[in-house]
Amino acid sequence: MKVITDFFTRGNFFETIGIFYQYVVFIYGTSLLMIYGVLAIMSLTSIIRYMKKNASVDYNIIVESPLAPGISVIAPAFNEGVTIISNVRSLLTFNYPKFEVIIINDGSTDDTLEKLITEFEMVEVEYAYREKLNCKPVKRIFRSTNPAYDKLSVVDKVNGKSKADASNAGINISAFDYYLCTDVDCILDKDTLIKLIKPFMDEETTITKEVNGDVLIEDDYKRVIASGATLRMVNSCDVDEGLLIRARPPRRFLPRFQEMEYIRAYCLGKMGWDLINAVPNVSGGLGMFDKEISVKAGGYDSQSFGEDMDLITRMGAYMTDNNKKYSVKYVPVTLCWTEGPATLKVFGRQRSRWARGLAQIMSIHRKILFNPRYGRMGLIVFPYHFLYELLAPIIEFLGILFYIYLILTNQINWPYAIILIIFVYTYSVMITTLALLWDQITFKYYKTWGETIGLCLMAFIEPFVYHPLIVFFALKGYYNFVTGRKHVWGNMQRQGLGAQKKKTPAKAG
Amino acid sequence: MWSDLVDLLLSAYEQYSLLPLFIEIALAFIVIAIIATITAYTSILVRRYRAYVHQKRVAYLSPKIEDLITEQVLLNENMDKDLPIESIEFDKDALNNKIYKKEEVRQILIDTLIRYRKNFRGEVGELLRKLYVDMNLQEDSYKKMKSRKWEQKIRALSELTQMDIAIADVTLLPLTNSRNSTLRAAARNAYIQLSKNEPFKFFDIATEPILPWDQLEMFKIITSSKDIAIPNFARYVSYSSNKSIVSFCLKLIAHYDQQSAIPAVTNLLETKDHYFRANAINCLGKLSAESIEHKLAFMYNSQPIICQVEILRAMGAIASGKHLDFLKSEFLYSFNFEIQMAAARAIISHNTQASRAMLNELMETTDEGTKLIIKHCQNPLIKY
Repeated sequence: MKVITDFFTRGNFFETIGIFYQYVVFIYGTSLLMIYGVLAIMSLTSIIRYMKKNASVDYNIIVESPLAPGISVIAPAFNEGVTIISNVRSLLTFNYPKFEVIIINDGSTDDTLEKLITEFEMVEVEYAYREKLNCKPVKRIFRSTNPAYDKLSVVDKVNGKSKADASNAGINISAFDYYLCTDVDCILDKDTLIKLIKPFMDEETTITKEVNGDVLIEDDYKRVIASGATLRMVNSCDVDEGLLIRARPPRRFLPRFQEMEYIRAYCLGKMGWDLINAVPNVSGGLGMFDKEISVKAGGYDSQSFGEDMDLITRMGAYMTDNNKKYSVKYVPVTLCWTEGPATLKVFGRQRSRWARGLAQIMSIHRKILFNPRYGRMGLIVFPYHFLYELLAPIIEFLGILFYIYLILTNQINWPYAIILIIFVYTYSVMITTLALLWDQITFKYYKTWGETIGLCLMAFIEPFVYHPLIVFFALKGYYNFVTGRKHVWGNMQRQGLGAQKKKTPAKAG
Repeated sequence: MWSDLVDLLLSAYEQYSLLPLFIEIALAFIVIAIIATITAYTSILVRRYRAYVHQKRVAYLSPKIEDLITEQVLLNENMDKDLPIESIEFDKDALNNKIYKKEEVRQILIDTLIRYRKNFRGEVGELLRKLYVDMNLQEDSYKKMKSRKWEQKIRALSELTQMDIAIADVTLLPLTNSRNSTLRAAARNAYIQLSKNEPFKFFDIATEPILPWDQLEMFKIITSSKDIAIPNFARYVSYSSNKSIVSFCLKLIAHYDQQSAIPAVTNLLETKDHYFRANAINCLGKLSAESIEHKLAFMYNSQPIICQVEILRAMGAIASGKHLDFLKSEFLYSFNFEIQMAAARAIISHNTQASRAMLNELMETTDEGTKLIIKHCQNPLIKY
């Protein structure tokens, strides 16, 4: 009201807009910080609950059980010739009784396919292939003649210019009810399948109450449609033949910031949302899905720039549209180590793509936003992502411009401005430090305290160095989205893992 | 000095209260954030230090505990004299060593004894149990059992079960129906292992479900324990109103090949729950219940896809040869790929002269797409 009154009494349009903007930004910023504070508490509760619940679990029981559900591991590969053999060997050594590994050679132009055929003694088989999900044509399917590799299938297909397209081909030939989607160059923990299938088998159910003898039991419980776990950077870790020997925080600055950011996003963000069943997405690097629901929801969209969140959104929407309860679960343990972009160019391309993907999802699924019919997704997940993820870089950028304007016109109250900057800075350092503490509660990943504290200290320089880059590349992504500029996939210069130092061209993450 | 400090604080507060509200809020949060950050750093360091100290302590105590077990149990001379385990005495001085009075050490001792007992059965296992009892360690476990914390109760259940120490029904049975699923599962597993006469008694009173993960654990315990009296699970299939128990019993019936349960399982074919019905059909297939094959064929057309696929699989498992024409017709004329695959696999799994002749005929008379399904299903390289 005061803003409106001022507008009419003073008659100064720009001054009124300025005051209005300041109020909006203060409310917006404070509410965002409050949400982070609440998320920190929720994530701690969620992590403690998980740790208590799983402290007495003997995971080895499932390894010998004939009741274990089958899982298909789907890993697309594009020009991964240098590391493909050790990576596939690593995927074949999961601690799990019933799984298959499907490698999709997505039209590689190097010797990826030849290496797979030779090393694993693969032969082309006559395969009754049916396309449940859209993807580029599958040319051939290979199986190994060596019983040691009888879990392995290789699909050779026409390049679909996206991981989504290749993943759909993998889902089409998968034999089991659950599938794990990953990148072939990711290093996965041996217990990944056990730890990610557990949430599917652990969801609380209630006894069916039959009404007129017609109610199905499936309607009475929350079906887990996907599960995910924490990802970390593999950049400075010791890796031997696709196995992680020792975890370390990355030495180089850019991946080091990403490690910190990932821990914050998973341990604090997703674990917090997990508590209220509002997990927005499961990472493309590591996620397990209920195949029936993901196929019914249409699988991955190869046109999407944020295919992982898009899939979860469509699966959630499918469940809601069919009046079925569902949940997406997260486990707070690191099960996947992935190589983070080490150069600004590749990093920028990745972040612009993510930002563009978010804008695209908000645009495509706009009917969900603020729609109570979609429950938590419509009233929590989408509004949060719209207000505090999509709009944040724009508001921040406008804020900087406004700040410069205030400085130039000498309208700034410096003592107050400095107090507000310190407020935001100390709060952001606190949130990141808490996330790293929560991470330490789950497992002691780093051998020395120096490595742990060294990573924590990144929180102090993040607001000046890393955060501006994120904002810049996000704005670039939005610009590309609005102008419809064609995305250039480019090459991700892989640094190689462990002893492998050869650089491999591959598609950007 | 104190009065100066108080004056300073009062003057700071006066100045603070004159500030605009949003600046007051910001200042308050700055203080909170700084305190929280320092606390977080301290916690990280303290946690690491505690873990380090604990590790050191375990490294120091483990050899002593292992020496005790080796001397008192593994190298116990009385073991060779064929004495009853109960009459074998330990060296009281060794057991009464004051280091074993500390709670932390006793816990390490319990954990070590459990580890050993997992690896040793027979007389050595019994002697390990006696050592646990003689050192009064079961009192530590009982104490945890009385704790208000459910995770402590679970720990106690695990310790007592591993050491084969009885827990009264009045204590254990209510826990088998706990609202806490983790505690419930642990109590149920303990009950099966500890109850000598009626290990499945809690099936009769269970109103809470057995979650799929808990079924894995329970299945392992039931199928790997030699001294559990296996009942006829048809009883629970017929009378239990808890669907998860019925579903679990179907798996046990199939595992133990309880042919006498076929009538009870057949009654489940009338249930309105598709998933449940599919489980029952799957169980009948595993039991090779030829007597119900005709019934399955009769009900086939009115079933959803999931049940139809299970019927075809069951016919493949029963492989009586009486419904080969039915399978052929489903293979040739179904529009559903999954059904075609299941029908082809069912024909192949018959592996009789008639089925082989049928496959040859199909290979000669059908189109390439249909032939491809047969080749796919026959290919030994395609495992699933």
